[in-house]
Amino acid sequence: MAFEELVKLGEFVWEVPQDAALRMRVPGRIFLSEVLLKYLERGAIQQVANVATLPGIQKWSLAMPDVHTGYGFPIGGVAAFDVSEGVLSPGGVGFDINCGTRLLVTTLFKEELEPRIDELTTTLFEAIPSGLGSKGPLRLSEKELNDVFFGGAKWAVNQGYGNPADLKHCESNGCLDGADPAKVSPLAKKRGKPQLGSLGSGNHFLEIQCVDRIFDKKAADLFGLKEQQVCIMLHSGSRGAGHQICTDYVKMFQAASRKYSIALPDKQLACVPADSQEARDYFSAMAAAANYAWTNRQVMSFWVRDVLEQQFNTTATLVYDVAHNIAKLEKHTIDGGRKEVYVHRKGATRAFDKDASYGIEQPVLIPGSMGTASYVLHGTKKAMSATFGSTCHGAGRVLSRKAARRSLTWKGVTESLQRKHIAIKTDDLSSVPEEAPEAYKPIDEVIGVVSKLGISEAVARLTPMGVIKG
Amino acid sequence: MQKYEFLEHAADVTFKANGRDLNQLFENVSEALESTIVFHCEVALEDSCPKKIDSDSCENLLCDWLAKLLITFEIGRFAVEKCFGRIVGLLLTADCLGERLEPNRHRLNTEVKR
Repeated sequence: MAFEELVKLGEFVWEVPQDAALRMRVPGRIFLSEVLLKYLERGAIQQVANVATLPGIQKWSLAMPDVHTGYGFPIGGVAAFDVSEGVLSPGGVGFDINCGTRLLVTTLFKEELEPRIDELTTTLFEAIPSGLGSKGPLRLSEKELNDVFFGGAKWAVNQGYGNPADLKHCESNGCLDGADPAKVSPLAKKRGKPQLGSLGSGNHFLEIQCVDRIFDKKAADLFGLKEQQVCIMLHSGSRGAGHQICTDYVKMFQAASRKYSIALPDKQLACVPADSQEARDYFSAMAAAANYAWTNRQVMSFWVRDVLEQQFNTTATLVYDVAHNIAKLEKHTIDGGRKEVYVHRKGATRAFDKDASYGIEQPVLIPGSMGTASYVLHGTKKAMSATFGSTCHGAGRVLSRKAARRSLTWKGVTESLQRKHIAIKTDDLSSVPEEAPEAYKPIDEVIGVVSKLGISEAVARLTPMGVIKG
Repeated sequence: MQKYEFLEHAADVTFKANGRDLNQLFENVSEALESTIVFHCEVALEDSCPKKIDSDSCENLLCDWLAKLLITFEIGRFAVEKCFGRIVGLLLTADCLGERLEPNRHRLNTEVKR
């Protein structure tokens, strides 16, 4: 689809008109600044238009400023579907179900950690399994794995991996209702069983960060963030279990889409009616993967705390844990009425204007690329009306992994990190260029767009001190 | 004729594979996937791992085959260097040559995760 199809509606709002492609039921909306517009791929515009053709879609097919092409739905995509006339699509969630971000705040401050940053980075690297196909040290029985799928982070807390207060500070309290391990294939269980408590690879990471700027003191105080304070950010998901669940249901839905006579502009959008048995089965399996992911991040947090206690005789408090690849049943105000919808957020973060965890707006965690800043924001009323309570999820890729490896060297990237006094540990130095800042859009620009649009507001900026790249 | 070539994609790994016939196409697709996961030039042809798979369409057979190779690596910890496949109808019988994955010896490339 051509760029000329886009109509500028406001400083940061670009519309894909409903007549831009056949069978679009609603227009598309892409949120971009002029700077970010130059990174927009034609394929991503097409995917926004394709999503707009799906049955029961409400209001708009949305794309956040970190948008880029994905599997069927664009990454950075948000779409809400009516519970009775709409659909559920695994491509709208992604293969890494409940890939998400978690932030812990420590009692340490930058100055006291600086002389020991290499030591902490190394110890955390040794404590938390990372890398391709990494396995966690937990050995789960079949029953325990099912309990993880059912209970999410609560299972981990009940096993001693954390404390009950952690659950209050997780989106959905770290457990999505409706999970059913019986809807998870034996193969998905087999893949997930050895991997619980592992970071994985690619863009998954653990970062030691420090709060370098506070934008909203009231919210920062409530979230427990002070300038120069050291934080730990984790980015990981549901590992092989989520990947296999998505694979299984994409295959099943490709046949089912035909059965339900759903016309698809792209078979990667395979979907089924939201009130069908197939949709109920997928939702139960997806919820199980989401719960696995929350457990995964909870278990890794336990090891982070263990390292902090041993090395610094201190601990860390969970600020928040948020998903950015998920479908959820939510109530939103649409055309003046309250409506139940399945909101698909794929590479997009929930940004509600209310959240029980701190009694104010919901915390939002947006990681930057390796070596650049990450942000803590909060949700807004504007997000509730403009984006089904959603915002961006990161910087958003611009270079393919292949292009990044071609144009950058691991030595150059690690030297650049060293010049910024950022320690790095990884099992695979050759993959370091893939996550370099040059492979991503500028995070400050992305945050600028969501802030100026008012779909989330910045609370604090965090800069990296040490990186463990998965 | 190039066996396969990797294409640009911002998020995913995409490749285009060629083959004189379906058998060779599947062999080349297998090699492309394996080279995505592990630096395959370092994998010796030491062991053999027979596989059999059937499906309801040729397209699904390819998807199922790639999933099977992924599982062979992830759960079986077996790195495939070369595949010899034979497709009759919608049944694929393949002999995968390679060796057990050894973290100290094999450099891993990309995790297929989403």
